[in-house]
Amino acid sequence: MIAEAALARGIGHLLPDFLLRQRWYGAGERQLEGVKLVELEILRTDEPLLAWVLAEARFATGDPSTYQVLVGLRPLAATERFLEGKGRAFLGDLDTDAGPALAYDALVDPELCLALLRHVYPEDPVSLVRPLNLEQSNTSIVYDERLIMKVFRRLNEGRNPDVEVTAALARVGFEHISPPVVDWTYKGRDLAVVREFLVGASDGWQLALTSLRDLYDRRLDPAQSGGDFAPECRRLGEITGAMHVALAEAFGTAGGDPAAWAEAMHAHLARVPSDTEGATFDAVGVAERYDAVAELDDVGQAIRVHGDYHLGQTMRADAGWFVLDFEGEPQLPVAERRLPSSPLRDVAGMLRSFHYAAQSGLAERADEVDEELLGLARAWEDRAAGAFLRGYLQADGVDALLPADPAARTAVLDAFVLSKAVYEVGYELANRPDWARIPLSAVDRLVGTSP
Amino acid sequence: MASPIDFSDERWFQKAVFYEVAVRGFADANGDGTGDLKGLTDKLDYLEWLGVDCLWLLPFYQSPLRDGGYDIADFVTVLPAYGDVKDAATLIEESHRRGIRIIADMVMNHTSDAHPWFQESRRDRTNPKADWYVWSDDDTRWSEARVIFVDTETSNWTWDASREQYYWHRFFHHQPDLNYDNPEVAEAMLDTVRFWLDLGLDGFRLDAVPYLYERDGTNGENLAETHRYLRRLRATVDAEFPGRVMLAEANQWPSDVVDYFGAGDECHMCFHFPLMPRMFMAVRREQRYPITEILAQTPEIPDGCQWGIFLRNHDELTLEMVSDEERDYMYTEYAKDPQMKRNVGIARRLFPLIDNDRRVAELFHALLFSMPGSPVLYYGDEIGMGDNIYLGDRDGVRTPMQWTPDRNAGFSTADFARLYLPPLMDPVYGYQAINVEAGMRNPSSFLHWVQRMLHVRKQHAVFGQGTFEVLNAENPSVLAYLRRLSTPGPEGGGEDLVLCVNNLSRFAQPVELMLATLADKVPIELIGRVPFPALGELPYFVTLPPYGFYWFNLVDPDGALS
Repeated sequence: MIAEAALARGIGHLLPDFLLRQRWYGAGERQLEGVKLVELEILRTDEPLLAWVLAEARFATGDPSTYQVLVGLRPLAATERFLEGKGRAFLGDLDTDAGPALAYDALVDPELCLALLRHVYPEDPVSLVRPLNLEQSNTSIVYDERLIMKVFRRLNEGRNPDVEVTAALARVGFEHISPPVVDWTYKGRDLAVVREFLVGASDGWQLALTSLRDLYDRRLDPAQSGGDFAPECRRLGEITGAMHVALAEAFGTAGGDPAAWAEAMHAHLARVPSDTEGATFDAVGVAERYDAVAELDDVGQAIRVHGDYHLGQTMRADAGWFVLDFEGEPQLPVAERRLPSSPLRDVAGMLRSFHYAAQSGLAERADEVDEELLGLARAWEDRAAGAFLRGYLQADGVDALLPADPAARTAVLDAFVLSKAVYEVGYELANRPDWARIPLSAVDRLVGTSP
Repeated sequence: MASPIDFSDERWFQKAVFYEVAVRGFADANGDGTGDLKGLTDKLDYLEWLGVDCLWLLPFYQSPLRDGGYDIADFVTVLPAYGDVKDAATLIEESHRRGIRIIADMVMNHTSDAHPWFQESRRDRTNPKADWYVWSDDDTRWSEARVIFVDTETSNWTWDASREQYYWHRFFHHQPDLNYDNPEVAEAMLDTVRFWLDLGLDGFRLDAVPYLYERDGTNGENLAETHRYLRRLRATVDAEFPGRVMLAEANQWPSDVVDYFGAGDECHMCFHFPLMPRMFMAVRREQRYPITEILAQTPEIPDGCQWGIFLRNHDELTLEMVSDEERDYMYTEYAKDPQMKRNVGIARRLFPLIDNDRRVAELFHALLFSMPGSPVLYYGDEIGMGDNIYLGDRDGVRTPMQWTPDRNAGFSTADFARLYLPPLMDPVYGYQAINVEAGMRNPSSFLHWVQRMLHVRKQHAVFGQGTFEVLNAENPSVLAYLRRLSTPGPEGGGEDLVLCVNNLSRFAQPVELMLATLADKVPIELIGRVPFPALGELPYFVTLPPYGFYWFNLVDPDGALS
């Protein structure tokens, strides 16, 4: 249909405009200087054609980024229904030997999704394709409701943290993940990973909201309400503890470094405005909590952590809770995400998630919110957090990772909760100013300006 | 007159809907205040109309009634208050004539202490029946065996002053365990079974089967010896009475209960105990995991076997199969008054448990009628009867059937004071409000709804015999599953395919179902026969009203037109 060189030339011209339109582009405001097509391989020559492309984008500032693009090519005359309304997925027109053709993102094409899996994992024939509509820094496709392929869009140097961590956890026998079935790599970089699809699972956020809708509708004490979430939180806590013990086994431990942790928190605090009108918080009080951590002798161990732990990263299935997406904090460079940290950082992430869940539930019925509902939201959150922590501390071996002194545990945990909340304040002020009150109230709670 | 029952169908129980009935509480023909076999016979037309396939009678044998008749004092005599063996034969015959089979409770493990066997055995240590029960000088033996009725019993041993020895009992102290190590006992119980099958009974519900034998160093449950005896019993039944069924009561985890199916050579059916409390839990939590979790832990059963599933029965809602934490939860949710708690469970009927919510009752029955297993209804639940938790023991859920708004609920013409138990008279569940007559007269009653559902279920063997597959749904409040059964016919036959979608929440819910493998099939809603849009490559979108459910027959597009 078209020679590799001609195809590379044609796609190369279309790439800059295409990349800028993608949700996973992720370069923010940085000025794009140019895009170079660095690799191209035709994976399927029959029509529709499938080409694999690596493109390097250079920016006016900062490091270049490498993108993986899977390109499909069909004659312009034979437009397909699946392409309707998918303008974002178009690269543009190309001339081929057989006439003009449309180049587009192959991951919207069911036929090419099948072809891709056959290329990556020829051992397991599948017939049904369902893309998951969760465009982040990667794209996921479900096959036959039993396999899921996660295709990385923006590639980092070396291993992808998610693939690396889940493989390591599987190796040490931690079962509450979906282990990789096959890993598609190129020169030491992860391009895509195929896993078993968790059948019959719902994510933790959905379950929390199910519980909260029941609570806010019935207006009973959370312990008395039918949709009580606490037993699930306890189980989730246990799994989380077991996950940390497994991470420690897989990646090793190092003594926690309170000074370094506090320094990183301070540095971050300095970047978040504490005096925005209507969104002020006690930055001095926060800093004092960070200082308190720096002065501790024993802050427990530092281990490889999940790094972006919240309810949306957990799934409840028939066999219990599962943890997903070990990419780490997406805002950080990959090298930093790999740095060992306190397991309490993940715990803090989940506690913040309980707060967000309770408040999101309230937001669903904003017209009914009164003192009683606010009290119930707080009671639900406290009960969920309490049960989660109880379950967490019950996990075998988790003690050895934490500060021995309970007061030190609380101090470290509070500091990580604060740090996460401060991060959220910054994020919300930049993106959803109306939501900033949620993390602000958490900061106020911990530094003592509100109960 | 020929019976409408196909007695050559040895797998009838896989498709049947069972109806559990207490003879004492159903209908009183002779006006003495206690229900009887004649009274039950008189009500067979009602049961035929309702559409049940098999009655399960609670024990009707000679008994001092210290345990609802489970304390049997003579296996081959009917309790005089209920009638005699001739009445039992008439009941069986009349019932068969209406297409309804009958099974009855049989207590294999123990007898009443009033049973002549025990009276003889306790006399001294040398009489001919001296070894028919389990005697010992040592009341610390087999201390690994738990005490089951923790509310009333402190030990499994009780001292008998006349024989000056302890006797073994896994249940009440007035129910001594039979000694199955004695071949005479093992044989005598086979004869008991033969007697009733000879009379026409279609099988037994075997009470408390896990405890037949005792062995040192064990908890005395599920022993190999017990299974060996059940195989012997089954072989006897199969050889002499083919097509009769053995239904085991083994209140154990599914992974242990499956042992009672053996290799298809022990019991035909076993009750699935843990499913029931989890159905309640799932609806209160508004999420499916309590149910799907236990189904995922339930092993496959041998060909030719079947689970018995139920919402409520004559016993408490048993909580032995849930964790301590879940038990506390169930107590808070469903037993708000301490009187409602019994042993390790909750003694309530279905409707009071669900706050008399018709929508929840319909959802529970839709689940019961469509999940894998044969449903067992409890008498009175089809009209929404309540309970009286202030009656002793488990009598609260065993009050008289409510037939009419007339005197004694139409159950008996006796003086009120002579009734074995008072009928319910409270304003919500009392017989003036809740009774069969009112239900029959009102076409939109729950009773008519149950009758309609049973009729629909009967049209599709897939509910009883099909495979079961939970579908993936991101919405945790929705429980969706496929039932599938190959049907014989021309050109290799076809397939009966039913999709069940249930909303466990009291809020309306959406769900997307991944059914691309069944693209082009047309869902026909089974109750209204309304065709829905055909399934396609994309996820199938369904919206459900609060506690709503759908049963869809998935048919080929041309099938939908005809």
